[in-house]
Amino acid sequence: MRAVGIVLAGGNSYRMRELSNKRAIAAMPIAGSYRSIDFALSSLANSHIQKAAVLTQYNSRSLNEHLSSSKWWDFGRKQGGLFIFPPMQTPENSFWYRGTADAICQNLSWLKDCHEPYVIICSGDGIYKLDFNKILEYHIDKKADITVVVRDMPDEVDVTRFGLVKMDEDNRIVQFEEKPMAAMSRTVSCGIYVVRRRQLIELIEKAGEEGRFDFVRDILIRYRDVKKIYGYKMDSYWSNIASVESYYQTNMDFLKPEIRNYFFREYPNVYTKVDDLPPAKYNPGCEVKNSLISSGSIINGKVEDSIIFKNVFIGEKCTVKNSILLNGVYLGDNVYLENCIVESDNTIRPNTSHVGKNGVEIVIETGDRYTL
Amino acid sequence: MVKKELIAMLLAGGQGSRLGVLTEKVAKPAVAFGGKYRIIDFPLSNCINSGIDTVGVLTQYQPLRLNTHIGIGIPWDLDRNVGGVTVLPPYEKTGNTSWYTGTANAIYQNLAYMENYNPDYVLILSGDHIYKMDYEVMLDYHKAHNADVSIAVMPVPQQEASRFGIVVTDGSGKITEFQEKPENPKSNLASMGIYIFNWKSLKEALKALAEQPNCDFGKHVIPYCFDKGEKLVAYEFNGYWKDVGTLGSYWQANMELIDIIPEFNLYEEFWKIYTKNEIIPPQYIASTARINRSLIGDGTEVYGTVENSIIGSGVVIKEGAVVRDSIIMQGTVIGRNSVVERSIIAEDAAVGENDQIGIGEERPNKEKPNIYAYGLAVIGENTIIPDGVRIGKNTAVTGETVPEDYPYGALESGETLDKAGVVS
Repeated sequence: MRAVGIVLAGGNSYRMRELSNKRAIAAMPIAGSYRSIDFALSSLANSHIQKAAVLTQYNSRSLNEHLSSSKWWDFGRKQGGLFIFPPMQTPENSFWYRGTADAICQNLSWLKDCHEPYVIICSGDGIYKLDFNKILEYHIDKKADITVVVRDMPDEVDVTRFGLVKMDEDNRIVQFEEKPMAAMSRTVSCGIYVVRRRQLIELIEKAGEEGRFDFVRDILIRYRDVKKIYGYKMDSYWSNIASVESYYQTNMDFLKPEIRNYFFREYPNVYTKVDDLPPAKYNPGCEVKNSLISSGSIINGKVEDSIIFKNVFIGEKCTVKNSILLNGVYLGDNVYLENCIVESDNTIRPNTSHVGKNGVEIVIETGDRYTL
Repeated sequence: MVKKELIAMLLAGGQGSRLGVLTEKVAKPAVAFGGKYRIIDFPLSNCINSGIDTVGVLTQYQPLRLNTHIGIGIPWDLDRNVGGVTVLPPYEKTGNTSWYTGTANAIYQNLAYMENYNPDYVLILSGDHIYKMDYEVMLDYHKAHNADVSIAVMPVPQQEASRFGIVVTDGSGKITEFQEKPENPKSNLASMGIYIFNWKSLKEALKALAEQPNCDFGKHVIPYCFDKGEKLVAYEFNGYWKDVGTLGSYWQANMELIDIIPEFNLYEEFWKIYTKNEIIPPQYIASTARINRSLIGDGTEVYGTVENSIIGSGVVIKEGAVVRDSIIMQGTVIGRNSVVERSIIAEDAAVGENDQIGIGEERPNKEKPNIYAYGLAVIGENTIIPDGVRIGKNTAVTGETVPEDYPYGALESGETLDKAGVVS
């Protein structure tokens, strides 16, 4: 119990297009059975962190429904627990969260009441498994004020939507730019920070007094030369899902055996809220190739290179290729889908076709559903 | 004072020896069913769906798996401040300590548990049936008929009635006669082993029969209440109900789930069946896989062919393997190019490469022809089967087997290979 966790899950991004109309990014369904925030919460729980606060704002109800009980992540503890903090009105404050630092600032009293010496700050839109104890060791070792988890990205990834860092030989961060026009490095910040609790309170209070609200711009970048801010290089899988393209790609990554094994079979596990659904059912005429299928689904048609989430019904003579069908989607007979993401609980009428020609198409069809 | 109108007592201590090697290390209620469930999930889910939040589960035979599965009852919402699920094993007492010697004896030894909740009615259930039933409707019937004891019955075909305990009723539902496996049944209503007792009647009967050896509900308690002149009524149930006491009926009930619209439908939104989900990730179906008419559990990876089968969670079916008309339970691995037909393979077994299981001519089992029948090959949990062997029909295999156990590379139909407990 050396640290408490703070999960920043309040954000929205225009890059998610229609997908964020009905849910927070942290509540985006991932890999058939999970939600994005499960990865941060499971990493916290698996690092023996017993107390975590989730700061929510945009479309917070979607997230609240998922976090209806803390027991799925083993946070149902007397010592600790899972706290969900949407913005609230107090005599001193009537603002929404105006930024990541402001979100923490508005909940400083909670942070002050904790007794754990360190804080782990992470975002709800990262897909990874991390042992935070290792980062904590590193942080203490380096006598750092703030440690930022960073990762070298492969060349094909457009890094300009991330925070980019440059480090010296000792891994101290010497340059930090948020979403720059031109990339000055291939090393991105993963949005995971370790900081001593008292140090964090001090920095956040100062920023609050000065009317500065953003953790990256107003703390990491502003204090870059004053405080010892170190980078911790992770080399395991990490992906940020906050754009439609990367959301799609991240889901498709789970079709690769090494990534599937890493998340699904290797210890420690990723936890999620369990829906009580029956096993998936394969009826005559189905043909499934290289796909993930989740429980509660009934398959009558053809599925190829796709991710089928929970409780999906695929009618007869359907073809689904390179697509993601979110929870509860119903496909009538003879539907053709290629390069699509179908929004959850949508009904696709029989004999229709959707093909994402230039990239991924988001299909939203909320027609009536006739079932027996 | 704590007050619960209706509490349930769930009998889950039996071995279920007719399931052969499947129950060698687990009690029958903990045997897997339908891909991701265990048999006890059905009565437990029925309880919570019927609004019963206090359930005592009586365990005795091999309770470890059952205890782990039930835990504090979270999957069934039975983790309660007052009530909830309580596992009740036999315990030592001053004077005569004994195991549970019969169904009613088990309940008798837990009078104190029931007393705690000050119930008006007690529901007696057994942990080995597959069905969905609203016990609240049965309770309403019990109250409406002002009964002391209600017995759930279901109509069976007249020609099969002689295999069951039959109750004969007058027009109003009042029971007038019992016939145990009668030659000439007077009715076709078979008892399902589900009873609602008025707490007072139950307590009085159990105390009166305290000295009865192997005290049993069907054989002793019900006749005692009947002879005493209490009002016994039959509650007719017309839904799906399956006793999965034999390997044949267990296999059959599983296979029925695969039908396009099965009689017992797990996909209905209401009356969900709850279970402990140990394995969460979705299943992966590879490019080399072919699947037809099957149910597949979470986290399973299929690279081979699966037809007409029930596959549990966390199973791996490797490339070239063929599984047909079979039940494969949680955590089992089927090696490359192995063929599995009409088999039941229990949890965490490892089948090697190029094996053939359930293939051969039909021949009765030599040791236990009544158990290992129906043309099934049955593989116990944690069994290891070496590469390149053939296992015939009506066979049973358990333990870490090695090539030397298979003369000429085969276990012929009708043979039994039991190496459980043998340390190699």
